[in-house]
Amino acid sequence: MSDSTATGAKVRVLIGKPGLDGHDRGAKYVAHILRDAGFEVIYTGIRRTPEQIVDAAIQEDVKMIGLSLLSGAHNTLFKRVLDLLKEKGAEDIIVFGGGTIPPDDVPGLEAMGIKAVFGPGTPAKEIVDTLNSCLA
Amino acid sequence: MTNDLIQLVDIALKDGPISVRAAGRLMSLMEDQPWRLPELFHAWAAVRQGREDELSEQIPMPRLFLGITGAPGSGKSTMTDALVGEYREKHPDKKVGVIAVDPSSPFTGGSVLGDRVRMMRHATDSNVFIRSLSARGHLGGLTLGVKGVARVMGLIGCDVVIIETVGVGQSEVEVTQVADLVTVVLAPGQGDSIQMLKAGLMEIADLYVINKMDREGSAQLHTQLLSSLNLSFDKKEVTDVQLVSATDKTNIDQLVDLLDKRTSEQSSDWPALREKRMYADVSESVLDQARMLLAGELRTNPDLTKQIIEGTVTVHDVAQVLLEKACDSTQEV
Ligand code: B12
Ligand SMILES: Nc1nc2c(ncn2[C@@H]2O[C@H](COP(=O)(O)OP(=O)(O)OP(=O)(O)O)[C@@H](O)[C@H]2O)c(=O)[nH]1
Ligand SMILES: [Mg+2]
Repeated sequence: MSDSTATGAKVRVLIGKPGLDGHDRGAKYVAHILRDAGFEVIYTGIRRTPEQIVDAAIQEDVKMIGLSLLSGAHNTLFKRVLDLLKEKGAEDIIVFGGGTIPPDDVPGLEAMGIKAVFGPGTPAKEIVDTLNSCLA
Repeated sequence: MTNDLIQLVDIALKDGPISVRAAGRLMSLMEDQPWRLPELFHAWAAVRQGREDELSEQIPMPRLFLGITGAPGSGKSTMTDALVGEYREKHPDKKVGVIAVDPSSPFTGGSVLGDRVRMMRHATDSNVFIRSLSARGHLGGLTLGVKGVARVMGLIGCDVVIIETVGVGQSEVEVTQVADLVTVVLAPGQGDSIQMLKAGLMEIADLYVINKMDREGSAQLHTQLLSSLNLSFDKKEVTDVQLVSATDKTNIDQLVDLLDKRTSEQSSDWPALREKRMYADVSESVLDQARMLLAGELRTNPDLTKQIIEGTVTVHDVAQVLLEKACDSTQEV
């Protein structure tokens, strides 16, 4: 579950939208369902740079970063986030993504280090279960 | 990243991005295990042993712990963002810390921490450290981890630490226990002169900010507040009132000047106050640990209470056992 220790500490997740993409329904939806699943969700808003997302994630010491993108620029922007995390000694933070990502792109994203990708219509339970299994 | 407190303090006091990571992790430890706060002092002393020429004897303290409180949506985060921007301009080589608390769900314990959305332009400024905290069920406007996180902010050299409470009602006034100065943010449309009369929130301000001065009703609110303040007859200190617009950044420079002025006027009183609080925090942590130890003992040995009642075991015996366990657990740390 999202309780990481016996002390009632919570799992902290940052939800970010990199690039010039204004579609924020999906990101807010995910923030909401994760909240309801007991996570502590740091929402950072739309049109952020990968640098802003990574720096925020490190200060917030999150376990996971969720990137939401419906603009089509996921291949470059997700890669940039992963590169920055490595550069800053934070490659142990788990990164997953969602949005309108063509199924053909998913293997490539996973190969570069994105833990899981969730496309349009993914049920809430599937998202929560996958995240929890990443923590186990 | 390690979870060893001494190593983390050591790394947090070095240069480069990894120090930010360590500071973030230290804050998580303070948040998840607030009772470990006293270990921070010990870690500082241990790290300092090899680095005396570099580090001060005591954990460095910010010049100002600034509390910002007020009703939900009054503009606390937007104003914090504006303040950080103005501070960074006025004191370019100084570091600013922000601790922003948002509420947790009473049903699931989860939360959405959204204060940071308003402050994202500072995310890549290495002289700004922003940390969002969930209330984690704690009532009062803050959360248990705030004190430790604030200490870590001091440790990494923040000159000013801004503490934003959750959106409060009238009786969550805990921020007065951690802040040197408390700012209450008001916005038009949230009540009239009757609200001004009420106890609680309206009594704790060192400084009132009327935000959203770009909105209708702010001038009227200003007048009401001033006349209400005139009614107090035994006010020990002056209460300033500043009209601002956080979104338009109107009068934010005046607000920062006012805060700097108040800080230099009052800060001579703060070391004693802070020391008193530090003692209280430490004894609270010690008691918390004792309580946890006792709870653990009662869990593993449920007959203990019964044995005490029957007279076969004395409280003194139990205390002896607990004390030995406490000694063991400190050696592990
Ligand atoms: C609603 C919508 C809009 C709304 C957005 C409202 C808003 N504030 O979000 C409006 C009308 C403003 C809009 C505008 C535009 N849109 Co539009 N829009 C859509 C539409 C129809 C639905 C998106 C949506 O909200 N879905 C509902 C949410 C809940 O689903 P979701 O975001 O996919 O999220 C789910 C999963 O993907 C996943 N998920 C998503 N993010 C994350 C993150 C994490 C961490 C996790 C775990 C999971 C996860 O979980 C969710 C639940 O299953 C899509 C088409 C489509 N079918 O997707 C086009 C679409 C995204 N839009 C598109 C375009 C082109 C535009 C415009 C450029 C159009 C224009 N020429 O002006 C503008 C640009 C807007 C901008 N500023 O960026 C294209 C994008 C094409 C591309 N990728 O190359 C799409 C795909 C339509 C299309 N087929 O062409 N749009
Ligand atoms: N017109 C106007 N709107 C403002 C001003 N300051 C903040 N707002 C808006 O008020 C809303 C709430 O602002 P926040 O800064 O999130 O308020 P908050 O007090 O931090 O809210 P909580 O943390 O949820 O209690 C946002 O839509 C802001 O854009 C202002 O000076 N003028
Ligand atoms: Mg806020």
